[in-house]
Amino acid sequence: MYSDLLHALPDVFAWTNFVAVVIGVIAGIVVGAMPGLSATMAISVLVPFTFGLEPLVALGLMAGIYNGAMYGGAIPAVLLRIPGTPAAVATTFDGYPMAQKGEGGFALQVAVVSSSIGGIASAFALMLLAPPLSKVTLLFGPSEVFWVAVFGLASIIFLLGGNPIKGLISACFGVFVSVIGSDPIYGNDRFTFGQLEMLDGINIVILLVGLYALPPVIDLLETPLKTGGVNSSKLGTEPIWKALPRMKYWKTWLRGSFLGIWIGILPGAGGSMAAFMSYNEARRTSKNPEKWGEGEPEGVAAAEVANNADTASALIPALTLGIPGTAVAAVMLGGLLVHGLQPGPMLFRDNPDIVFGFMWQFLFGAILLVLLGGSLATNSFARLLNLPRPLLGSVIIVLMLIGVYSIHGRMFDVYLMLGFGAIGWVMDRLKFPLPPVVLGLILGGFAEENLRLALRIGRGDPMVLFQNWTSLILVALTVAVVVGPTLKKRFIDSRKKA
Amino acid sequence: MINIFKKTAIAGAMILSAGAALAEYPEKPIEVIVGYSAGGGTDVMARTAAPFIEKYLGEGASLVVKNMPGASGQIGVTEAANADPDGYTLGTFNLPGMMARTIDREAGYDRDSFTYLANVVNDPNVIVTSKRSGLDTLDKLLEEAKANPLAITVGMSSLGGDDHFALIKLQQATDTEFTIVPFKGSAPARTALLGGHVAMGILNISEVAEFQDQLNVLGVATRERSEFAPDLPTFQEQGLDLVNGSMRGFIAPAGLPEDVQAKLIDAFSQLSDDQEFLDAMAATANPVEVVTGEEFKQLTSDLYDLANSVWQTTPWN
Repeated sequence: MYSDLLHALPDVFAWTNFVAVVIGVIAGIVVGAMPGLSATMAISVLVPFTFGLEPLVALGLMAGIYNGAMYGGAIPAVLLRIPGTPAAVATTFDGYPMAQKGEGGFALQVAVVSSSIGGIASAFALMLLAPPLSKVTLLFGPSEVFWVAVFGLASIIFLLGGNPIKGLISACFGVFVSVIGSDPIYGNDRFTFGQLEMLDGINIVILLVGLYALPPVIDLLETPLKTGGVNSSKLGTEPIWKALPRMKYWKTWLRGSFLGIWIGILPGAGGSMAAFMSYNEARRTSKNPEKWGEGEPEGVAAAEVANNADTASALIPALTLGIPGTAVAAVMLGGLLVHGLQPGPMLFRDNPDIVFGFMWQFLFGAILLVLLGGSLATNSFARLLNLPRPLLGSVIIVLMLIGVYSIHGRMFDVYLMLGFGAIGWVMDRLKFPLPPVVLGLILGGFAEENLRLALRIGRGDPMVLFQNWTSLILVALTVAVVVGPTLKKRFIDSRKKA
Repeated sequence: MINIFKKTAIAGAMILSAGAALAEYPEKPIEVIVGYSAGGGTDVMARTAAPFIEKYLGEGASLVVKNMPGASGQIGVTEAANADPDGYTLGTFNLPGMMARTIDREAGYDRDSFTYLANVVNDPNVIVTSKRSGLDTLDKLLEEAKANPLAITVGMSSLGGDDHFALIKLQQATDTEFTIVPFKGSAPARTALLGGHVAMGILNISEVAEFQDQLNVLGVATRERSEFAPDLPTFQEQGLDLVNGSMRGFIAPAGLPEDVQAKLIDAFSQLSDDQEFLDAMAATANPVEVVTGEEFKQLTSDLYDLANSVWQTTPWN
């Protein structure tokens, strides 16, 4: 099987296939840098255009865009505190404070190197693990997926930020949004108010754009006289080979890569969760956790390495079983199907050149990121984002409107997005965390659907949820996440008293 | 000078009006609305068929596929039903799902909302069991189902779809009862089967064609053996009268001009003889069965009546 891997290599260097990856990476960075335009969206828009192309040209473009976009999201996250993609939210925590201190250039260098490392690790994981891992993924039936979702929700509420109550309320809002649309089992309408546009539920991109992109833009426009998110003279750009020796984050990179790969493989959770978990873990083990959030470059490294490490690994279940690990993987799966590549163990037997070629393209996309992202992003994009605030705000709003409108080509979604924007702005002001809303939407849907399927399988007996080791381990992890911080606090308090 | 101008203008006007009179359908791109996302079975069918339809419609014809996914195809088909009946908006159509949806919920269309062009794919149902279940023959399955009603869990895609109708027919024919586990599509249902989380599944032959080593495929719901699995016996061969499948085709809004309708139906009817098209569809394990015009309409009507009678006795939600 692995000899097919080497056999596929020469095809990747056919110049058309290689150019496709290069164009993809550049396009991905551009798209990722635009708040509201996600990798998912870019690839869904692209797929219909790739029908006439050779499979490896089409797949090369997709691999490039995916890698590029996951890094591109870091650019506005660092410079404007606006995550270009949902997975870049954790990048804002330390990236933006760094930019304010005049270290924006270094923050972006850290981001691009970390992204590239995460992407390379992920591509290797895909190459080595995809064939054997199909068996492990099969262990995840409805009850196990339900527990994965519950674990994810618990982690988000309790691990993110200081206030679990606010986190819980935010998550509940997200779970409520997940309920809108057709009932996953019976197809009844729920909270659609007779709107055909709502039948399919709330599109995650609409929620993300409204919640994440609009409030910061409102802030931008509120202070129209200042120019630029960051003072451009203080960006502090230096060549990447000079910046590189200052990055000694190999522990964080290693841990973030593992977390990202693992979370990518699990169905449901994606780059955002990987980034948050990696960030939390890195802060927890840091020698100076109190400095995090004030501009600690290692925080940027932790977030960016993880959100790129889930890219290729999310394709492991997609290629082997047809279950995409993330929304982007779902779209890419569609792209593969278009070219007649049916996912499944047979894929590796029937089309080894294409499927392994695609994996190589992923790897090259990740490597190219340093070359293309390093120069392009820091020099061109940083300046682009330094336009006067009113102009920048207007440009972002226009892009948001176009992006949201282009998903389904209807104004309804634009109004919906503006509504979420208003909610997001209020939440921002009241210091409610936004990530739990998004994860509540994704994981809430998974939890509900799989709980109901599991209970059907158990014919109503809830014991079906505890029937094997996979489930029990996930339950134990969930309990640890919920109870752990409280116990730790009690322990510390009692030691203080003693 | 003015004279020349006038002459040119008149000549121009004459050419334009002559052009309008001579213009033949299609004189601009035809949009085909697919109610599912790119890459799915219906989308692949539409995109595979498009160049052939262009060829048969004649010089300059062009079909543009537009995906409007959502609500199991309901959003796209509603859009197609409400479009102008001028032949420039077509839609894809799935049976029995599209008809079942007019029964179990308030749909924005009914069986009279369409001009029926052609059904193109008929993907028969198969019954599969997980290797872990030990139920590796139809007899064993039915024996277990009779001995323990509701004990066998059946993974399938959504309620009111072709899989569900196949199960209803199976239950009626054998006087058995199964526990339905409706997944959000065939792929997750198949994965649950591979992992042994459900015992049995009802899928389509295109969805199991490549999984015959990992699953027990007990039979196919066709009258004759499928060319995609010639070794697989039909249910009728095994003494069970079960014929059912998922059909996918093309419709236009009701009230299409007759000449346009005739031209389109003519183009679609030529698909069944086009070896290149058949080969392209075979590559994705999609069995082609072209049924055009009135016959297609009748087929839809029959399936509506069946779905309606099922709904009256055993509503699925």
